[in-house]
Amino acid sequence: MKKLLFFSYVVFLFLFTFFSYLFIDPNLSYLKNLRSEFVFSHRLEISIGYVFLIIIHFVFYLIFLKMFKEKRLGKKDIKAVVVITCGVLLFSYPAMLSFDIFNYLLTAKVAFFYHENPYIIMPIQFLGDPMLAFTHGANKIALYGPSWITITSAPYLLGLGNFILTLLNFKLAILAFYLGTTWLIHKMSKDYVSVILFSLNPLVVIETLLGGHNDIVMMFFALLSFFLLSKKKAVAASIFILISFLIKYSTFFLLPVFAYALVKPNKKSISWEKIYKVCAILMFIAFILSPFKEEMYPWYAIWFLPFAALSYKNKIILYISLAFSFSLLLRYVPFMLLGTYFGPTPLIKILATGVPVAVVSMYILIKEKLWLKKFFR
Amino acid sequence: MEMAKEKFAMKKRLGVTLCILVLFLIFTSSAFASSSYVLPYPSSMPGSFMYNPRLLLEKALKFWYFGNFGQFTYNLKQSDKYLVEAKTLFEYNQYLLAYKALQKSDSYFLKTLPNLKDAQKEGKNISQNRKLLSSAAQKHIEILQNINLPDEFVWQPEKSASSVLQLKSAIETSISIRKKYQ
Repeated sequence: MKKLLFFSYVVFLFLFTFFSYLFIDPNLSYLKNLRSEFVFSHRLEISIGYVFLIIIHFVFYLIFLKMFKEKRLGKKDIKAVVVITCGVLLFSYPAMLSFDIFNYLLTAKVAFFYHENPYIIMPIQFLGDPMLAFTHGANKIALYGPSWITITSAPYLLGLGNFILTLLNFKLAILAFYLGTTWLIHKMSKDYVSVILFSLNPLVVIETLLGGHNDIVMMFFALLSFFLLSKKKAVAASIFILISFLIKYSTFFLLPVFAYALVKPNKKSISWEKIYKVCAILMFIAFILSPFKEEMYPWYAIWFLPFAALSYKNKIILYISLAFSFSLLLRYVPFMLLGTYFGPTPLIKILATGVPVAVVSMYILIKEKLWLKKFFR
Repeated sequence: MEMAKEKFAMKKRLGVTLCILVLFLIFTSSAFASSSYVLPYPSSMPGSFMYNPRLLLEKALKFWYFGNFGQFTYNLKQSDKYLVEAKTLFEYNQYLLAYKALQKSDSYFLKTLPNLKDAQKEGKNISQNRKLLSSAAQKHIEILQNINLPDEFVWQPEKSASSVLQLKSAIETSISIRKKYQ
């Protein structure tokens, strides 16, 4: 049974990797041999295939979780699943669902190849750069903080000017931070259920190992700072939370909790479970407020999912985070199907996100009988 | 009597034609000469309590604008800023301060093209920035040509020796610098 499960999971991962290559940008000359127009000519089939893959991914996720809880899978098995997932998805095409990784690369190129300040000079000013053909948002100055730009120097410079190698390096760097976050969750919770909940979560896997979003880097440093704080290493913790702030600024929401834990004289009296719970709520608020800045992008869920995994014993946090993990991945479907960001697409995206979350919320209300508790209090 | 009427009508027609011609020349010439380049708002002026901190900030920002394109952007921005400052000060008859601001604007402007040449040596495509510089030069010239000044002005400070400011020649120098960059 276990062997069959592992085998089918590996097949699934390869299938997902193959599926990702159908989305190669027509202007991406570096992968012109692998390019096909299938995505644009078969929108319905692609959308159905994507939804199908997402559902299958969630089924695997829940099976791993259930089998571990029933002790049919051990810690070694979970480690193997994480390693296999990393190993296969490292070679997936990263711009299947978003083009952010190209933006990271081009911003790094502005800083470390052209030796210009990416906060002043936009990539589009380098006329004739081959990456401009397929990078979206090249008319913007650097969107991320200086910590991120500094971190990108390593994968960029190790790419030795080769696009494919640089792209692979960026994916490797993100993978390293994913593994680091997994390790920290294990260290902080001493519970493999938390590890499974976070590290095998389809949204985390897709947006991190496939899409290569830098949110995982920001969260790695945030978790590291809390971990170090729990070990009474206040200076190192403060440095790492600062690094986290200066990646994408969202972890600034954690400042009140961090300050509380930092100034509290007796660290032993701190309930870290409660701290993580508050962190999950604060990062969830940051996520909910994200549409005011731009849009509720699916990978923004990575802001609260690590803390939600650490607080999974709270059923509301668990169910809501799972519901969002599923529904946010459905936000890609309207564009895949219709090929436009306008018309009914925005409304369908809201419905795709809202309906599963609303259904789960109703379920929690009924199952937990919160309304009854409130009524008969 | 009829001859006089005819003469008057002819004069009237000639007058109207001349007016139209003059208006045509004025409007068409300004339409062709004006540059779409936009100059900044006047920043804090000398004497304001914010002026010295602004100078300090400018010094610090020089390092923030690293890279050849960055330095080009910095120098052009500074040149724009001091040109606007000079124009405002000239309008308020603050000739000495205006004269100094204009010289600063010139010195920053002179640094822009070498920045672009360095960028070109590094293999960067400078065509877009070269166009920007040309457009900026044109705008600067338009501004400078519209400043009405005496040929020279004797600046007599309260507690030091007077100095003669060659205002017209300063403006002409500034225009000639920019004409080379058009």
